[in-house]
Amino acid sequence: MWVYVLKRLLQGIVTVWFIATATFFAMHNVPGDPLLNDRAVSEAIRTNLEAKYGLDQPIGTQYFIYLSNLVKGDFGISFTQENREVNDIIREHFPISAILGVLAVVFAAAGGILFGALTAIYRNRLPDYFIMLLVILGISVPSFVIAALSQLTLVTLNNAVGATILPVAGWGTILHMLVPALVLGLGTMAYLTRLMRSSMLEVVNSDYVRTAKSKGVPPARIFTKHQLRNAILPVITVLGPSIAAITTGGFVVELVFAIPGLGRYFVQAVQQLDYTVIMGTTVFYGAFLVFMVILVDLLYGFIDPRVRLEK
Amino acid sequence: MNDIKKTDEPTPALLEVKDLAVEFDTYGGVVKAVRGVDFKVEQGKTLAIVGESGCGKSVTVQSIMGLIPMPPGRITSGTALLRGREALARDTIDGKKIRGAEIGMIFQDPMTSLNPTMTIGDQIAEPLQVHKGHSYRRAFDEAIRLLELSKIPEAGKRAKQYPFEFSGGMLQRAMIAMAISCKPSILIADEPTTALDVTIQAQILDLMQDMQQETGMAIVLITHDLGVVARMADEVAVMYAGKIVEHGAVRDIFYRSAHPYTLGLKEAMPTNDPNKQRELKPIEGSPPDLFSAPAGCGYCARCPFAMQICDTRYPDGFFVEKQHSSCCWLHHKDSTRRPEELYFKGNDL
Amino acid sequence: MTDISSVDFTPLHGYREVQAISRPSLSYWQDAWVRLKANKRALASLFIVIALAFFTVAGPVFWRLDPAQQDLDQVSQAPGANRAALIVEDYEPWLGNEFLPGQGLRLGEPATTQAVRLQWDVLPGANGHRVYRNIFPVGPELAYGIPLGEFFDNDTLFFEDRLDLKPSRYYYSIVPLGPQSELLDGYQTIEVEPMRVTTLRDALERGLVDESTQVKVGDQINLAWHPLGTDYLGRDMLARLMAGARVSLFIGVGAPLLFILFGVVYGSMAGFIGGRTDQLMMRFADFVVALPFLLFMILFKIAFGVGPGESGVFPMLVALVVLMWPATARLVRGQILQIREQGYITASQLLGAKTNYLILRHMIPNTLGVVLVTITFAIPNAIFIEAFLSFIGMGVAPPTPSWGSMSNEGIKTMLTTPHELIFPSLFISITVLALNLLGDGLRDALDAKMRNTE
Repeated sequence: MWVYVLKRLLQGIVTVWFIATATFFAMHNVPGDPLLNDRAVSEAIRTNLEAKYGLDQPIGTQYFIYLSNLVKGDFGISFTQENREVNDIIREHFPISAILGVLAVVFAAAGGILFGALTAIYRNRLPDYFIMLLVILGISVPSFVIAALSQLTLVTLNNAVGATILPVAGWGTILHMLVPALVLGLGTMAYLTRLMRSSMLEVVNSDYVRTAKSKGVPPARIFTKHQLRNAILPVITVLGPSIAAITTGGFVVELVFAIPGLGRYFVQAVQQLDYTVIMGTTVFYGAFLVFMVILVDLLYGFIDPRVRLEK
Repeated sequence: MNDIKKTDEPTPALLEVKDLAVEFDTYGGVVKAVRGVDFKVEQGKTLAIVGESGCGKSVTVQSIMGLIPMPPGRITSGTALLRGREALARDTIDGKKIRGAEIGMIFQDPMTSLNPTMTIGDQIAEPLQVHKGHSYRRAFDEAIRLLELSKIPEAGKRAKQYPFEFSGGMLQRAMIAMAISCKPSILIADEPTTALDVTIQAQILDLMQDMQQETGMAIVLITHDLGVVARMADEVAVMYAGKIVEHGAVRDIFYRSAHPYTLGLKEAMPTNDPNKQRELKPIEGSPPDLFSAPAGCGYCARCPFAMQICDTRYPDGFFVEKQHSSCCWLHHKDSTRRPEELYFKGNDL
Repeated sequence: MTDISSVDFTPLHGYREVQAISRPSLSYWQDAWVRLKANKRALASLFIVIALAFFTVAGPVFWRLDPAQQDLDQVSQAPGANRAALIVEDYEPWLGNEFLPGQGLRLGEPATTQAVRLQWDVLPGANGHRVYRNIFPVGPELAYGIPLGEFFDNDTLFFEDRLDLKPSRYYYSIVPLGPQSELLDGYQTIEVEPMRVTTLRDALERGLVDESTQVKVGDQINLAWHPLGTDYLGRDMLARLMAGARVSLFIGVGAPLLFILFGVVYGSMAGFIGGRTDQLMMRFADFVVALPFLLFMILFKIAFGVGPGESGVFPMLVALVVLMWPATARLVRGQILQIREQGYITASQLLGAKTNYLILRHMIPNTLGVVLVTITFAIPNAIFIEAFLSFIGMGVAPPTPSWGSMSNEGIKTMLTTPHELIFPSLFISITVLALNLLGDGLRDALDAKMRNTE
């Protein structure tokens, strides 16, 4: 078991190295001098930066400097905001994105499992049709439209009541998080609902559920002990990629709801061509996702005995 | 029905099924899977229900247990009386006391019939917790004892394992342990050996017989294997196209087959008598389409003894002897052909 | 049983086939087509997809309007709005009327879309005035709207508003200013609905009227027709939706075709060669999968460096192909490995089939279904990604229209002119919906596991 965990971690580190390398060479390919744009930095900073990143050195040396900085956990200094380290930026903005993401994942997983199970149990009846209609809409309507519509609804709602029930935008309290997290999780929720539905249908018609019925096990116990646990397994396997989709999908929601998360900051950095921030954020997100996927895989091993014992 | 007169019996049978009919809605239309089935199960005896795939034998027992998915399934008529009490597919409190407690059931494929994410011990302990209100600890200890009883070595360790760590034969033993955990009066075995190796088959059948002797339960055995029938059964019901076509003691069925279909089954089975040389003969054609059930005898098109009437009217049952009935026009008093033709041909096998 | 006669017992002879097998044998694709046709939702989706293709390809032939042309008389015009306009004289500056009847905030002249001319009297306690315009009534929270102009003395008591006027309702407010130019209480407000007007010169220039027709000042004419309205720059929505469809669908269809082709080649090579090469190739694919997708899409866009005047369509296409092939490669490799183990391949080999024959006769037909289903699901996905990136401003560069960038522009004016958001997002939604449903139908129709189960 521990050997397996160690192996996965090593694999993860190699993957992060690959992401860092790809990021470096992609950014290196950017046309023009990174230090020569309209927000030109002062001559002193310029010399400092050149020295620090070896920008006057050949690309191999630059790559080496970059990697050794990374290993030290140093993403460098922002190009556009003086004396601001990328690490500080991540430290400040990532928790906001993370809270939003975690909340969205919880919404998506809970909703997906619940609605998926419901549709399977009420197969070809009204609740099934109704939920599946919503699911198809959730899959087909772009997140920015849903975000805009929910904002519109909030405005109308607040106007109708004459007080702020839920804030329309911004960040701060739990109330600020609810609607954006829901919007962010909606697409994934729809996807997980579909998955859970088909997996649950398979389980409902399975031989072992029939066996449980033949034993006289009451329906509620069959649902919890036999159906749910088996039907959730495929959902858990895709949870890792889902977390990836949700965290990187946060841009739109952060933009529309004016949430000061890392996603919004990244878009800003791209518009300002703030190279170190772009590279740092990309590598950081990449590493975060790689280890989330590993974590979910290990978690899966604890739930499915077949996988647990093989390792 | 009016031709069959039930013999007077002092006590009600353990399980009595009357006029059971089951339909399924499918995309192609309504399938009449079971079309009026009657049988009885006596205390401590084994009833074998025999027939080819799709004849409705599994549906019959599953509908008694309330395992038919509804919809698309539908029980259109019939009753099942357990010791005189109505028991058919009732999802009432009463029904739950019957399932698992009064009637245990084992299935064809033990590999898929056990929950893959639950330990064997937990699964055997479950009916004890549900029906007898045992604590988890006590039920689990009882489960280990049941596994030992089913001749599973190292039962204590095995009980903590998952189904994928068991072999097929072992799983079927565990299934039996689970089915009899609450000491049911009837064990329904739905093709219990079909998915197993021949060598394992015999062991499982032995185990079932041992359990029967120990607990005095009745067994309803669903199978298409006449060898298994000969070994296990006291009574046999032969099913064809959703109906029981012949019913009687195992000797009568084997040595005085009174229905051409039973004879056909026998012809298709190898004999172990070295003095007799013959070729195995398959039954030509296929069973009738149950989307539109035939008016007459369903076997008519494949029957070498078919007569004009067979195509238009169903023979509702004639007693050949006491306790031996056959649904075939050959036994009608006006029939031009005599049932002796059947016996004569049967003796040849 | 009295009705039974001896005739009934006449023997029937021989074996009779009562049930002929009535279902004709169908090939894999015929069978799939039959199944697809039976699926109403998938069939409807197929028609929608065909209609969309027609809209994109043939649409511009029927609706010959330049998507970049601006109609400044009709900016952010809702579909089906009143197009009537009055011809007026050319614009002349206004310096306020000296002796105007009336009191308080009032119109100096009838309000037109050319100009709204306001006049007022000195407000009590005012050291100056500020003029505001809003599209909603001021209300108790004193939401005056946008400030248009301010005057720090009480000499100028008129204001001319020419800012982006539309024939809709405005609320003009005049607020007194204190000595430090702070806002004082006691504002006055007026509701104004400008009349749509145009000048004769403009009308002639845009071809709204003919030289020959005797149109003069004071006549009413109809402005150009925009069936789906116009956007915030007065560009025709229908023409832009068609042009946007070309961009969105070019990326949405082009990218999947390319990356699936690459994935199929890569995956089947890995599957065929096997061994260490396979391991290495698949490990590389795993790395590419691990890249944070959207961030790298954006990164590639910067790396390509979209210059001025470029649309940014090509970089996006390349980025999609570079990042999205591994899923297909994995799928195809798995399929090939699975097929290689099948009994019929062994049987075919035993009968002397060559590798080429095996590939042509067994491998390709058996992977084609999976690949087809992958394509139908990849297209809506790619359309989504394009829309998503264009929406956050990281996709195609303006002025190139795409459904995503149109939504991005539309969301800014969502509250006042919702049609600018609704139309492009509706097109995205319907396209994605139809393709998803078609994909579901195709998968069900082609899935060999599902055959013969009903």
